[in-house]
This record gives sequence, structure tokens and C-alpha cells, in this order.
Amino acid sequence: MKDTDQSTARRKFLQQSILGSAGAGLAIASTTHVAVGADEKENHEPELATEVDVLVVGGGTAGTIAAIQAGRAGASTLILERNSQLGGTMTTGGVAFPGLFDAWGKQIIAGIGWELVKESVELDGGKFPDFAKVPQRHWQNQIYVNQFLYAILAEEKCEAVGVQIAYYEFPQSIAETPDGWQVDCVGFGTRRRVLCKQIIDCSGGAEVVGMLGFPRLREEERQPGSMLFKIGGGHLPGREQVHRLYVHGADSTNSRTATLANVTGRRSVLAKVRKEKKQLMHLQPETGFRESYRIVGETMVTVNDYTSGKRFDDAISNAFYPVDLHTKSGVKPKPLKPGTVPTIPLGALIPKGSRNIIVAGRSVCSDRLANSGLRVQASCMGMGQAAGVAATLAAKNNTTPFEVSLQQIHQVLRDHDAIVPGDA
Amino acid sequence: MPKPSKPNLGSFRRRFTTLLTALTFVVLAVSGILAFVRPFSLHIVGLHALIGFLVVLLVILHVVNNIRPLKGYLHSRTVWITLVITVGLSGVILLQPGPVKQIIGLSKNLGPALERFETSEDGMVFHYDPDPQYRMTLTLRTGGAFDPENPPRIAIWLENQSFYHIKTLLGSNSVDTEKFLPYWSYKRREYEKAKKESGGDMEVHAVSSPTENSSFDPADYILPGDKENPMPYRLVVEINQENDAHESIPDQPPLIYAVEIDNAYPAAFQLLELMGYPKQELEEGKESWAIYYADEGVGSALELIDSGLLTIDRGEMSSAGGKTGRGEK
Repeated sequence: MKDTDQSTARRKFLQQSILGSAGAGLAIASTTHVAVGADEKENHEPELATEVDVLVVGGGTAGTIAAIQAGRAGASTLILERNSQLGGTMTTGGVAFPGLFDAWGKQIIAGIGWELVKESVELDGGKFPDFAKVPQRHWQNQIYVNQFLYAILAEEKCEAVGVQIAYYEFPQSIAETPDGWQVDCVGFGTRRRVLCKQIIDCSGGAEVVGMLGFPRLREEERQPGSMLFKIGGGHLPGREQVHRLYVHGADSTNSRTATLANVTGRRSVLAKVRKEKKQLMHLQPETGFRESYRIVGETMVTVNDYTSGKRFDDAISNAFYPVDLHTKSGVKPKPLKPGTVPTIPLGALIPKGSRNIIVAGRSVCSDRLANSGLRVQASCMGMGQAAGVAATLAAKNNTTPFEVSLQQIHQVLRDHDAIVPGDA
Repeated sequence: MPKPSKPNLGSFRRRFTTLLTALTFVVLAVSGILAFVRPFSLHIVGLHALIGFLVVLLVILHVVNNIRPLKGYLHSRTVWITLVITVGLSGVILLQPGPVKQIIGLSKNLGPALERFETSEDGMVFHYDPDPQYRMTLTLRTGGAFDPENPPRIAIWLENQSFYHIKTLLGSNSVDTEKFLPYWSYKRREYEKAKKESGGDMEVHAVSSPTENSSFDPADYILPGDKENPMPYRLVVEINQENDAHESIPDQPPLIYAVEIDNAYPAAFQLLELMGYPKQELEEGKESWAIYYADEGVGSALELIDSGLLTIDRGEMSSAGGKTGRGEK
């Protein structure tokens, strides 16, 4: 990883001093810069230049895993997260009961996501569901995780492999270069130019893919989001689910629509508190969004592929969850038939006609019903890990993720304890 | 014109008995008709049964009050004709030939649903015809481990969306049922407990689930009032061969098969899926049973049945696209 300060020698010295300790301690890039450049005159030139193999945009469910995987596989990696912590829906959204890692009595998703979940639960003294037991409802095999521990452990794992975290930053413009990409990012008090070979877009809404002008899919009306909170009794993180209210029309397309969703969600919580006259014990800072843009990929996962458990030729991870489309009137999950384990093809993570960019998470190329099952956390973690491997191998071999040998991807995934389709 | 003389109404006891018999008979008749034409309701059936007992008592009193004329009737030849008619009608209704079945089938009360279980060397066929427009046939094709000389124990029942037993289609009253069909026995106990807790109200939302989709009345699933939003339910089979040792296990556990039935998406044919085997769990002294995926502890038991096919003939319902009720186009 190479960082170059383009302003003063003093800033360069301080910057390098702090980044020099990145191997031993966590590098919080934006915070570092605010401390140094707070008195700098405003200009529009990037203040920082960061050169990495892999840039992960979005430190949510998939992005966190993708970054750790890229780091472990030897890629210099920078992860941008516009909020204040890693984990996304699981931490900031508070949906701290990820699933599903198992299907039909066997674990089908493991790897780094499972490692993080397992460590969080063990450190918290929590419990795991018995995967040998047939759940009456699919959510019985979701795992209660302490969201706070998860976020910290995720940071620790990034730190351990030298993944640089940049909170409060997001890409503002992107240009193609002979070696990959030049991405100009902003955060408050920070302007950073990132030169990278590969981008993993884990923004949830394929925002980088959109900035590059590749087509994306979006429904006229999104599934409702959920605002998570707890009123009345105290909240025990990692032991229980909290209360939830639908936020109809919740849309994470941009900061304005996300603001509206959060204000609407919090207003609903306030109304409930006033009505029930109970103490508000817990409130997540952000609405949990279910749906946004999906990419138009090299391969589309259809609901038929999903419900039939189609084994794609280029399958890179498993998925498992009922078809779970939330509507204004609620949700009626349609469980998968016994024995069915859907798979996710590499082609569904590649924007059609693109090079040097891969997505992971809920923006996977899929039709709406397939996406309603694919969007859940364990599946997104599986995708994140596979995207991390594909991007790293592409960066090392000077190729594009879609042209990386599938055998190589599978081997690296296995080396990092992931379950490759067909292995479980 | 002479004023008509007032009829002699007899003593208070006579008047009271006669009037009470007549009035309670009206209740008995109306509740009887309702019990036949309406889906099963514990309120209606309970009213009919208990008023029926009262009527029996009153009829005895009525007979005592009118013993003389009755004796006269008994000495007439008409008694033989009425006796033959009564016995004949009872016999025909009990034997249930086709036309009688058709009349009974008109009832929307699933209590008198027509159930039939047949076995052969190839398999077992269970018919459950709660309605002429809703005929269920469950065909269990026997597997290699099935011994017709020593057939396995079987229970078949329906469960609501909250996994509560709502109706047993095939069960057993033998004393060792608890041992050989433990899961069905447990489900029945939970059902009885929930019914008791509900105080007779069959819509036991608080007991079964916070949702409103957990009625204990089978009619709510098979012949739902809200035809636009039918509720899915499950048919469950527990099968167990006594003393079927496997490797180091002296007796393999029972196996549970199930299929979900969703009238919103009517399927004529559905295959039963193996769920696993039941296992008792005690947490803080409270009994519960969970199903576990079939593992290496299960061998030949998997071959008791080769396959289970559920066929539902919905008559006009299926041709109307499933969301439309009986007879609606």
C-alpha cells in the first residue's frame, strides 16, 4: 500500500508516521487527516493519494468480509465506509441475527463471515442454534450476535492483515487508468485519490457501478425497510431480537432518500413511545434497507434458478433463505424445498461488459424474487469472500475478476475455510 | 254461537313438560341443521349435544305423563311399521351407501368427514373427503423394509401454520401409542392443552401464535370463510416400525414426513418430504419435541415407505384458480 501526501512536508511526515504504524495498529485514515489538515485552506485537489491493489467500497455485510479476504490473500486493500463502523446492516442497521449459514442439517456457508459471527458469539457467551435440528421457522437458525462486538472484531481482523479503513468517506468520481482505476473520494475534511487495480462494489446499491455508467435494475417501489428499536424492558445485545417497525418507501438510493427513511422511521418509533408510554431503551442509528439497485450482470439468478437450487457452472458460493419479499402488508416467506441449496455464480457479481470491478451483496444480479432470498447476511458474506478472492487474484494476475480461473478462486476460498458449492 | 270450551291442559307438570319439550326440540332442530350446513363449531355442536340430553330427559317425562295412550299405540299394528322404518333408516345411514354418502358430503361440518384407510402389499391409501369439492388421497408406497405381516405404526394428522395439531386423520388408541408414535401423541397433548387454555374458543391466537393464521378449526383451512386468503396447513405422517434395530441402535426412531398444502397455489399432486426423526427435549422441566435431520442413526427405517403422494381433488375450486371458492367461476 502506498500513501502520498501532496501538500506540505509536515503533513507528509505526520501522515507517514501514523500510517507507518498501520501494521501494528488500526489506520483510521480520515481521522488522521482531519487532525493534520484542519487549518488547511480549502482547495479541490486531493490531499491524499492512496495506491492499493483492491478498493472495497462499502464496509457492510459483504464489504467487510471482502476486505478481510483480500487482505488475507495478500492484496493491499482500502475499505471505504460512509458510516462510523463496519458491519452495515448487522451493526448500523441492527439486524444482528445473521442467517442462514446452514441448510438441511449441514453448514453451507462458512469462511470469514462465519469466523466473525462465531468469535462474536463465543466472546459474548452466546448460543448457537443446533443445525442438526429441523427449524420450524427459518429464522430459528439465525444466530444472535452482539452487534457491538461484531463491529470491533471486524476492525481487529482488518487491522491484523493491514486493511486500511476509511470511515466517513465515499467515492465522488471514478476514471479508468491503464492499470485499473483512479477513484476520487471525499469525507468530511478529507479528499483522497485512490489508485487501485480492482474495485469491489459493496455499497448495497451498486453505486460505483452506477457511477461508471453500467446499467442497473431497480423496482418502482422498494420493499419496506425496518427501523429497529426496543421499548419497555432493557435490551440484551446478542440474546434477543429487538422491536421492528416497517419504514414504507425506505430508499437507500441517495443521501436524501436515506435521510427521509431515517426521519420517517424515527418518527414512527416516537409515535409508538408516546402511544405505549414506555421507555425507549434502544434505537438503531439507521434504517435497515432491504432493496436498492441491482446490477445487470454477466449472469442473472432468476427465482427459478434460486428455488430449484441450480448449480451454476461458475458457482462461487452457496445461499440459503426462503423467498422473502416484504410488501406493505407484511411478508409471507416461501421456504425452499427440502434439499435445495441455491448457488451464486461469479457472473452474477460482474457488471455486464465491465473489467476490473466486481460487486458483492444485495446488488447481485438477480430478479426481484431471487434477490429477496439472496440479500440476506450469510449469503452476502459468502459473496463478499468470493469477490475478495476474485479481485485479489485478478489484481495479482493483471486480469479482470471474470477471467480469473474458477479453480484458482475455489482453491483460495477453500484455503480460507469457505465452503465452495458442492463441498458441503 | 256458543263460546268454544277451553281445552283441558292438565296439571302444571304436564303443561311444563310439554312446553319445555317443544321449545327445547326447536333448539335441537335448529342447532342440528346448523351443525350440518355450517363448518364445525364447538359452540353449535355443544349446544346441540347438551340440549339433546335435556330433550331425552324431557321425553322420558313426557312418556311417563302419557303412558296410557302410548300403551295403546304399542298395541296397534302401526308400531311394527314404524319400527321397521326406524331400524331400516338407521341401518342404511350407518352403512352409508353412495347416495347417503353424497347427502352427508353436502355437510360443511368436517366432523362427519369421510375417512377410509386401505392397505395392500404395494402400499397404503388413505382417503379423507371433507367435502365433495375437496377430496384428499394420501398414497404411501411401501419400501423395501415394509413387512405386511408386521406393518409399522402410522399416524396421519393436519397441523396449522403454528405447527399445532388440528385434526387427526389416522391415529391409534392403543396403550403403547405414546411409545411408538411419540410425536403425534405429543402434538395431540399440546392440542388438548391449548384447547383447554383457550376455554373452548377455537380461535386460539394467544396460545398458538401471535398471528391470526392459527385457527384450530380444520374448516378454516379446507373451506375457508375468506376464500381470497386461504391459509396454508400441513399434512404430517409419523411412521414407526417396532423393534427395528439398526447397527448399535436397538430400535430406530419414528420418522416424520410432511407436506404443506396451500390452497392459494393449488397443486393436484404433492410429494411428502422426509422431515427427520422426533426427539424429546426437556428444558427446565418443560417437555417439547423437536425434529432432527435423519442421520447415521437411521437406516432401514428410511425404507419403510418409498414415497408418499398427496392428491387433492378440489373439483371446481381448482378450475377457478385456487383463490376462488367452491362453485365460483
